[in-house]
Amino acid sequence: MAGDVTQRVSGPLGSRTARRRPRTAAPYVLLGPALALFLAFLAIPVVYALYLSLQGMRIVEGGVFGTREEVFVGLANYRETLTDGAFWSGFGRLAVYGLIAVPLTLGLALCFALLLDHAGARARRLSRAAIFLPYAVPGVIASLLWGFMYLPSTSPFSYLTEKMGLDAIPFLEGTNIFPSLANIALWGGVGFNMLIIYTSLRSIPPEIYDAARMDGCSEWQLAWRIKVPLVVPALLLTGLFSLVGTLQVYGEPTTLAPMTTEISQTWVPLMHIYRSGFIQDDLPMAAAGSVILAIGTFAVSLLLLRVAQRRAFGGHQ
Amino acid sequence: MRRRFLARLGALTGVTALLASCGVGGGDDGVVTLDYWCWGETTKVEEFNATHTDIQINHTDAGGGNDSSIKLLTASRAGNAPDVSCVEYQTIPALVVSEALVEITDHAGDLPERFDPGTWQLTSFDGHVYGVPIDIGPMVFLYNRARFDELGLRVPTTWDEFADVAAEARERDPDTYVMTLPPDGFGGFAGLAQQAGGQWWEVEDGRWTVGIADETSLEVAAFWQDLLERDLVQGGPILTPEWNNKLNKGEILAWPTGVWGPGVIYGIAESQAGDWAIAPLPGWGEGESGAAVPFQGGSALTVTDDDKIEAAVEFISWMNTSEEACALQIAAGEYPASLSGQAMTAEQPPPPLAGEQEDYWEIANYAATNTLPNLQWGPNVNTAQSVFSDAVSPALRGQKSLVDALRETQRAVVDDMARDGFDITD
Repeated sequence: MAGDVTQRVSGPLGSRTARRRPRTAAPYVLLGPALALFLAFLAIPVVYALYLSLQGMRIVEGGVFGTREEVFVGLANYRETLTDGAFWSGFGRLAVYGLIAVPLTLGLALCFALLLDHAGARARRLSRAAIFLPYAVPGVIASLLWGFMYLPSTSPFSYLTEKMGLDAIPFLEGTNIFPSLANIALWGGVGFNMLIIYTSLRSIPPEIYDAARMDGCSEWQLAWRIKVPLVVPALLLTGLFSLVGTLQVYGEPTTLAPMTTEISQTWVPLMHIYRSGFIQDDLPMAAAGSVILAIGTFAVSLLLLRVAQRRAFGGHQ
Repeated sequence: MRRRFLARLGALTGVTALLASCGVGGGDDGVVTLDYWCWGETTKVEEFNATHTDIQINHTDAGGGNDSSIKLLTASRAGNAPDVSCVEYQTIPALVVSEALVEITDHAGDLPERFDPGTWQLTSFDGHVYGVPIDIGPMVFLYNRARFDELGLRVPTTWDEFADVAAEARERDPDTYVMTLPPDGFGGFAGLAQQAGGQWWEVEDGRWTVGIADETSLEVAAFWQDLLERDLVQGGPILTPEWNNKLNKGEILAWPTGVWGPGVIYGIAESQAGDWAIAPLPGWGEGESGAAVPFQGGSALTVTDDDKIEAAVEFISWMNTSEEACALQIAAGEYPASLSGQAMTAEQPPPPLAGEQEDYWEIANYAATNTLPNLQWGPNVNTAQSVFSDAVSPALRGQKSLVDALRETQRAVVDDMARDGFDITD
């Protein structure tokens, strides 16, 4: 400590620091490309979005009807977005959707991962590929595909119920829209999450299982008492992904929107933001909405990590 | 090698559009290449490219009217708009306000004389020309004549008769609806309100008045609300796989639409070619049906990037007034906007969907000549459309009334215009 201080006050840089310079430059040279990309594609756009969100599209003189141009409006966009009921009800819908989709996705992913990891599992590669395959289908295509399967006159499920003399299943009506949308996410997301959990399971040393079996542990207990606690970090990671994914839901409801009157143009926050930015030609308003959504996502993620970390890795300080 | 690397870098960083716009367009031996966005129109563009050596068109289908105008706004804000675009009439004021359209007043030449003044008004305001009309969309009653005959339904001449026909159709075939009222039918609903005397936007000396919830429009909304409540018309989205399927099964019988409608229906129900026909749109008053024909849809060609303005205007003139283009247009079932094109319709066969209808073009001409004049769209139709469809959707599900939906739309549109700083009467 004291040495540090004396060095710092020792005036002009000595030859020693000059000799050290190449060494201090190395990390920056190595970080350079990543930093450049980070600046160009994350930092600068974020700053620009913050700047944009303080502008507003206002009519100024010119043309037949006047022209809309960017002027500084301070926090007006934030005020308008935060007091807009439609924006908040979007978060309400996300909550319902998330409560259905996230636990089911993680639960099924864990289930499949445990089954695959089971010593007696057969055709492991094939099953893994089969469960993972839907993840490779782009969200929009998946939504269209399911959309056709939901619409009464093209749905194979409704075809069967009608053959049985019942009515078509109203997949896209009323509150059924939530499970129907969650199902699309489930179908696409389980495989990816399963893969993460399965990878985590494969990295558990087999000695642990041998020891457990020696102690008379059944396969059930092995799964519950040993495997699940050991993959908690993986569950946490997939949980976080799912949460962030939920807050960013856009493609599925947007694709299904033309098929049902249930999905409004501001059904989820991102659709609200899209409408501001592109339909209403008001990028500043969209920027404000995006900033609010980003801060919210960040806060929720942080909270989840704090809480979960304490529970998962409690005692490891 | 290096170019390939650059192209890859471009793809990686999302600047391919920029690279492409540097690489394409003009230069080579005096040939001007124009980037052109439009839904459909492929045959006309091919014909143009085949018959012109000095101008070549690079055609992109950027989606239908709504999608296309949204993309155009965005591209224009980003500074890489195409040279020429199709736009629907109702989006023109908003595009003008957002400076997405180039004023072509000084380049229009004799174009204004080649259109009916009422038609020309759709693309020019106070003598400022922003585009050239392609087709017009006077509304007609497009119906499945084969199914109407089968069910013994008569073609309604007034909206009250329409309500009776709707009820008869439901009685005679419970799976069938005479028509569907769609949530995104902003233009169509505006037309029906206009027919009854509603004026959704008016502008005088730069001062706007919004009448989406004026008394007349609310009465029209109440009429449809009643039909919805009695389950005589279906409420829901149209042109979806579901709706197309019903239409193909003959469970949707009619569509009050602009005269461009047959082309759209033919695209989803080719097997019904010849089964359909058009009739004058039912009217609100007694007596002569369709005496007041409202307007729905139709589009114009606009210059959206001013650096090749002469070539762009030449292309636009050819597309909208030349004999070859008009013939192709009529064959596709569109009703031309230019006077010469309209005169040509007389000798043309009807579009395939209404292939059996001898007097198709007569009725279309009748509708066109009786179209209500002075249609004014507002500077924020995109917002209005979006709010309208969100407000109408719950009404179609019976959770709200159409009357309230119109009031909601009016409020949102006025608030939006006031916030942007338009001079507006409350």
